Amino acid sequence: MERRMLRRSGAVLVCVCAVVAMSGGCRPASSDAPEIQIQLTLQPSPPQVGDADVSLKMTDAAGAPLAGAEVRVEGNMNHAGMKPSFADLKEVEPGKYSGTLDFTMGGDWFLLVTAKTPDGKSVERKIDVPGVQTK
Amino acid sequence: MTAVAPERKTSPVPAKRQSPRQAARFDLLRVPLLGRFLQWRGSRVAMQIPVLLLGLVMIAHAFWGPELAPKNLATLLTWVHFRGLVVVVILLAGNLFCMACPFMWPRELARRLFSPRWRWPRALRNKWPAIALFVAVLFVYELFDLWASPYWTGVLIVGYFAAALLVDALFQRASFCKYVCPIGQFNFLSATMAPLEVAVRDRGICTSCATKDCIRGRRAEVATSRAVGAEGPSCAAAAMQLPIVQRGCELALFQPRKVGNLDCTFCLDCVYACPHDNVGILARLPAEELATEGTRSGIGQVARRFDFTVLAVVFTFGALLNAFAMISPVYVVEQWISRVTGLTVEWPILASIFALALVLEPAILLGGAAAITRRVAGSRDSLLAIVKGFARSLVPIGFGIWLAHYGFHFLTGFLTVIPVAQNAALQSFGYPLLGDPIWQLGGLPQSIVFPMEIGIMSLGLVGSWIVAWSIAREHSPRRAVGSFVPWGVLHLLLYVSAVWIMTQPMSMRGTFLGGV
Repeated sequence: MERRMLRRSGAVLVCVCAVVAMSGGCRPASSDAPEIQIQLTLQPSPPQVGDADVSLKMTDAAGAPLAGAEVRVEGNMNHAGMKPSFADLKEVEPGKYSGTLDFTMGGDWFLLVTAKTPDGKSVERKIDVPGVQTK
Repeated sequence: MTAVAPERKTSPVPAKRQSPRQAARFDLLRVPLLGRFLQWRGSRVAMQIPVLLLGLVMIAHAFWGPELAPKNLATLLTWVHFRGLVVVVILLAGNLFCMACPFMWPRELARRLFSPRWRWPRALRNKWPAIALFVAVLFVYELFDLWASPYWTGVLIVGYFAAALLVDALFQRASFCKYVCPIGQFNFLSATMAPLEVAVRDRGICTSCATKDCIRGRRAEVATSRAVGAEGPSCAAAAMQLPIVQRGCELALFQPRKVGNLDCTFCLDCVYACPHDNVGILARLPAEELATEGTRSGIGQVARRFDFTVLAVVFTFGALLNAFAMISPVYVVEQWISRVTGLTVEWPILASIFALALVLEPAILLGGAAAITRRVAGSRDSLLAIVKGFARSLVPIGFGIWLAHYGFHFLTGFLTVIPVAQNAALQSFGYPLLGDPIWQLGGLPQSIVFPMEIGIMSLGLVGSWIVAWSIAREHSPRRAVGSFVPWGVLHLLLYVSAVWIMTQPMSMRGTFLGGV
């Protein structure tokens, strides 16, 4: 009787572990255009709490500037429960975009860059910004 | 025959048998609608099912939703809403999370499947397993940055379900709740600060009660025993063979001798089992039970139990440690340890910080306070005995720090659940079922929340002082002031430390050594 109970418990545990293990590879695939390169710089560097200047350079697979894209940067802390910051970047010269992003708190942030190119391609990149410093 | 035929809940408690104080106490079960709902036996399941469904949604989102913590329901609800709501609800009412605990409903199913036969091992009938797990959860939270990882948060939730299932499938009674569950222990200690407790309405009725169903459970009706043909003396024996139709307290809390909320999950089994309708959810003075000496049913003497002392210490100093780990000075400590020891791996450095905060610091502070108390009071008690006696006075300030910390995250971010849920629906169904995500929703501004944090911790400090004063008067009536002062200073030190931490800019760390 006790053996049967142990076997049942073991089976339940194995099922739970299997669900957890299988779930690792089940996330939705990204519809990103991997050939597009993005270079992002922040000023001040390292970034501090408050407004930061965001400069972004976007190039295609051949390294040519990608002009005319709609670019948005979303800043999030790595802890849940914090309101994100947004910056719509303006094109200052072909393939170069800039704007201002508000780092509302010190700590580890990540930026989500989303862009739509004139030929309809979508780009989504995550860029880690560890250690935003408090003033 | 009464042992098997308890009177059904029909007659209200006669007013003349109640003391004036008992009669005046607010009873949640007497509140129209809400009281009737809670007295309905299905009420607990009715509360557990939505929480369980929410738990399943969180698990699904943890494994199949966005990997970004601020956009994932598992991380958001676990580390912001659940933690915040638990402490806020305990402060305003009582241990309602254990009442609606989602881990217990699968357990009920498991019990039907497995019929557990073993008793929880005698050597482990204490708080040590739960203390070890409590520290382990705090440690892995820091080591693996759980707040930033939906996947590992999901693993933690699934692991919790699995552990509850396994323990209660193998062992009888509420072994998981009483001896294993770290959240439960957190809730039990926190609930000593709650304004409500499950308690007897009229002790006189308990004195004349022959069945003690509140602890033994209620067995099948008389008619059933007659049907099996038992009569006279054999009837009582036969009655004991009858199935229990309503279980009594599975945490071994015998209502007439139960004191306060320690170990009480608010499951209300005692309410349903009592044949005299003599158990209610009564109002009481928060923290009053901490000033109470003597033996408690199912617990013994708190002041003599070293495991409860360590639990109170881990609860209080863990609150400081958990908050300290979220501000940038923790980097300085990490770098100092790294420089002194030459270590460059995170876990031993983190383990050193835990050892400093949860062992060395309490040993020095509590040992010092006990030594001064012994000297001033001229006591012959050992230092450990004095520490055990006063340790429970740490709980109010500890709870205040937890409440300030978790309340901060909850109050500044409670509305973020709306855009995250909208985004989850959008990604799951392909169209904005709940509307387009309104990412600008946050919560209260920090400038409003900060004074609330200070107020809450100040109340905790006053609570600790009142409890310590009461213990000092009990401990050495003639030199109560001298006995109290070292503990009062200790509480003040903890309070000042907590205020300093809360005034530091939050720096949600996840970078080992500050990225150096």
